[in-house]
Amino acid sequence: MSAPLLEVTDLRTHFLTRAGVAKAVDGVSFSLASGEILGLVGESGSGKSVTGFSLIGLVDPPGKIVGGSIRFAGRDLVGLPPEEMRALRGRRIAMVFQDPQATLNPVLTIGQQMALALQAHARVSDRAAAERAAAMLARVGIPEAATRLSNYPHEFSGGMRQRVAIAMALLNGPELIVADEPTTALDVSIQAQILAEMKALARESGTALIWISHDLATVSSLADRVLVMYAGRIVESGPVGEVLRAPRHPYTRGLLDSLPAMAEPGQRLRQIPGTAPSLLALSPGCPFAPRCPRADADCDAPPPRVEADGRLFLCHHPLEAAA
Amino acid sequence: MTALVEARALTRRFDPRLTIGDRIAAAFGATVETRPVRAVSDVSFAIRKGETLGLVGESGCGKSTLGRMVAGILPPSGGAISVDGQPVMRGGHKTTTRIQTVFQDPFASLNPRRRIGATISEGPIAHGLVTRAAAPAFVADWLTRVGLDPAVATRFPHQFSGGQRQRVAIARALAMRPEILVCDEPVASLDVSIQAQILNLFLDLRAALGLTCLFISHDLSVVRHVSDRVAIMYLGRIVEIGAAARIYAAPRHPYTQALLDSVPKLRLDAASVEFRPIAGELPSPLSPPEGCAFHPRCPRASDLCRRERPVLTAQPDGTEVACHHA
Repeated sequence: MSAPLLEVTDLRTHFLTRAGVAKAVDGVSFSLASGEILGLVGESGSGKSVTGFSLIGLVDPPGKIVGGSIRFAGRDLVGLPPEEMRALRGRRIAMVFQDPQATLNPVLTIGQQMALALQAHARVSDRAAAERAAAMLARVGIPEAATRLSNYPHEFSGGMRQRVAIAMALLNGPELIVADEPTTALDVSIQAQILAEMKALARESGTALIWISHDLATVSSLADRVLVMYAGRIVESGPVGEVLRAPRHPYTRGLLDSLPAMAEPGQRLRQIPGTAPSLLALSPGCPFAPRCPRADADCDAPPPRVEADGRLFLCHHPLEAAA
Repeated sequence: MTALVEARALTRRFDPRLTIGDRIAAAFGATVETRPVRAVSDVSFAIRKGETLGLVGESGCGKSTLGRMVAGILPPSGGAISVDGQPVMRGGHKTTTRIQTVFQDPFASLNPRRRIGATISEGPIAHGLVTRAAAPAFVADWLTRVGLDPAVATRFPHQFSGGQRQRVAIARALAMRPEILVCDEPVASLDVSIQAQILNLFLDLRAALGLTCLFISHDLSVVRHVSDRVAIMYLGRIVEIGAAARIYAAPRHPYTQALLDSVPKLRLDAASVEFRPIAGELPSPLSPPEGCAFHPRCPRASDLCRRERPVLTAQPDGTEVACHHA
């Protein structure tokens, strides 16, 4: 097997706040091959978005990558000079954010913005840029792409705007796309269209995709592998079907049981008690222990990292493996 | 079967409010939007006592506008809403405390400068449900019932997490002793694990108090979980209404079918998934299509659909569907 496209090892991104150090990402490791779709799942504050921002070098102070490495195509992105990072970002690594309204420049036409994105990385004539931009808009399902280049972002609907943002991310043929909750703000019918297109694009072009989401159902129908994050750490990972069918970590089980789709209509859901811990005061033990039905005195110590057959979980008292 | 809540031909238009600037711009030939938005058109339904009606639809379909009219917050442009035959609104004002509302964003619906104890007791004191002297015990009782420590009564909304704030909002609504609760996306902004806690609280309190509910959400699985019957809205009208189990098992309206198909399902097998998205986008409510509003996106549309708007028609299984080809 060839070297993975992306290899993240023991990544630590901390926020140095007046109240103390918030360990938003604390020892995250994973790798990703070309053409693979990785789902990064977690609740608010789990560190999933900060992990994404760390990958593309967009962590702003007081946040800081304080440890670990991000090897992308053989090069460590941690500590890379800003101009080299800028040359990579948008060309070989692209990002799609939740809110396309905030991503797109409201005072430039879509055509102008897309031309800028191309011309930032290569010498491209205006005419060639317009042609490539129109072709990409057509590919993400925007009708009459060539005429819509002269439209401003506000002239597009929410779903169309997110397609424009995805088209911009794809413009330079990146090897990796980091997508942070890209369909959360969209209606289900539009979400389904975008999921279908993202999946096809990753398959056709061999682009690796990191899909950051709180929605297990979306991830289960899109991703090849899933990482479950809790309080800045990965608690479980593996092939998405296996992990969701037979989770080993009690948090993954709890998340699944919280979904109304997993229960009989009208019956109480098997909820996880309590709330996520403050990232400012994490104990050295398992961060999920205070909410965990299986926790005991063992869980005051850091949980062991158990790895086998492509599955990984960090737990003192894991659930039984599937028969 | 008696209906507790009855909506008859509810309609709500929003007319654009033109500023002087708009009028001058229009006089000089600028395009200024003067068409009204028809957010809700001719919607009728009934909710039986003790029943939960789920209201589903995508953004802009009019579900929140409909909920606000049912709750007596927004006067309808046409039609009426009644409880036990008594009108909910008279002269543009709500006339009953029998209906209360829980909104999506508890941060926006709780007064940030008032302690939550005062927020919870304000309505009941004003309506004589509790005396000022008995208010602290009353508040403590409600905080306990929604799973909060009574000691938090002196705190301000910003000192709570999203899930806790939603508990406060539920306590405030229920402290008015309503028979009917309108919930507008009460769990939409919450994390999955917190959403489950709030849904459980809702189910417990609904059973304990025998509440009748209108539950509005864009999340089809949440609505399935809490509803006895569901209504599906598209562009300001109900396109299908009936027993939740029937509609989810065998939707009849092409829009309901497409909507249920579009929802990503939790896949526990490794098989690859084919998404079956609905073609096209929601048309503008400023200029809804002629005939059936769904016809431009509908795989079964015929000439009849382009000409004539279908009305809600009872089907053999008791659901009502507005489609020429159901």
